[in-house]
Amino acid sequence: MAKYANSTCPELPRETRQNVFVVIAAYNEGPAIESVVGEVTALYPNVVVVDDGSSDDTFAGARKCRVHVLRHLINRGQGAALQTGIDYALKRGARYVVTFDADGQHRVEDVGATVSPIYRGEYDICLGSRFLGRAVDMPMKRRLALRAAVLFTRIVSRVKVTDTHNGLRAFSRRAAERINLTLDRMAHASEIIDSVRQSGLPYCEVPVQVRYTKYSRAKGQSTRGAFRILIHYLSGRLLR
Amino acid sequence: MSPFQLVALPLIAVLFVATVAATFRGSVARREGFLWSLLWLAAGTAIALPEITAALARALGIGRGADLVLYIAVVVMLVGFLTVYTRLRRLRREITLIVRHLAIRDAIDGSGSEESVE
Repeated sequence: MAKYANSTCPELPRETRQNVFVVIAAYNEGPAIESVVGEVTALYPNVVVVDDGSSDDTFAGARKCRVHVLRHLINRGQGAALQTGIDYALKRGARYVVTFDADGQHRVEDVGATVSPIYRGEYDICLGSRFLGRAVDMPMKRRLALRAAVLFTRIVSRVKVTDTHNGLRAFSRRAAERINLTLDRMAHASEIIDSVRQSGLPYCEVPVQVRYTKYSRAKGQSTRGAFRILIHYLSGRLLR
Repeated sequence: MSPFQLVALPLIAVLFVATVAATFRGSVARREGFLWSLLWLAAGTAIALPEITAALARALGIGRGADLVLYIAVVVMLVGFLTVYTRLRRLRREITLIVRHLAIRDAIDGSGSEESVE
């Protein structure tokens, strides 16, 4: 059973925040990227934006913010982009690595909430959960699809978490070093859960808020897409 | 000779000769050339002497020779698909590794926080 870390979020010291690398994988997020990155950098100076071969001005938008910007020359999918960001963050000496969605669905305050249990040395991995927290205006269909994904993960990966597809996650350095995402596209969410279990490192879930804005809804996965992801993930497990 | 044999046998003969020639020239890998030559030979034999496949099919309890050929063809194709799919996956994976290498090599550090650098 995943333990739920205390959600009270003490402000992290400034030096600690500098050692937190927030990895944002962005694919055609031009309209949102600047404001999302701007919000994060206000608290965390080390933001790593991986532009996953966008065809819009995502790269230019990210360049305007004073952050680390990496570009995939060809679109390789969110899992691949996150892995690139994580590799880079580790190379730059990150002590904590956080993944954060580019569409503005997460709150910057919740980054601290997921890093804190690791900072206190209690856990190595903290996964954000919208079902422990409050999901604002979550469409019913989305809720059911995500619940199904959780059930599926419990059966296949034997990891008990309440929200498998939350983009906000925090890893200690040693946990981040053990993540190896090989499934390029959206199936990486399940793959992360798998590596959490395989790592044997202590993990917990932290309630976070997810904002279902008009923009993030339009950008998000369709419920039908979930089946494609499922097939992709299963074939990945079978044909390693 | 049936009309089908009249059309199919010369065609297969041409393919066989072309495959052998390509293998000797070295434009096709020796192992693959050998496998393809075998396939053409088998196809040619099955068309020229249908009694052979018929006898084989009867021995296996399948009934018709054409059915036996069909079953074998389906299995070979499925294995082929799987091989191609696996290769495609590996190729995609390799592309990702190259793209990642380039992205990290050409990373732009606009953070201005030099103290976090190793």
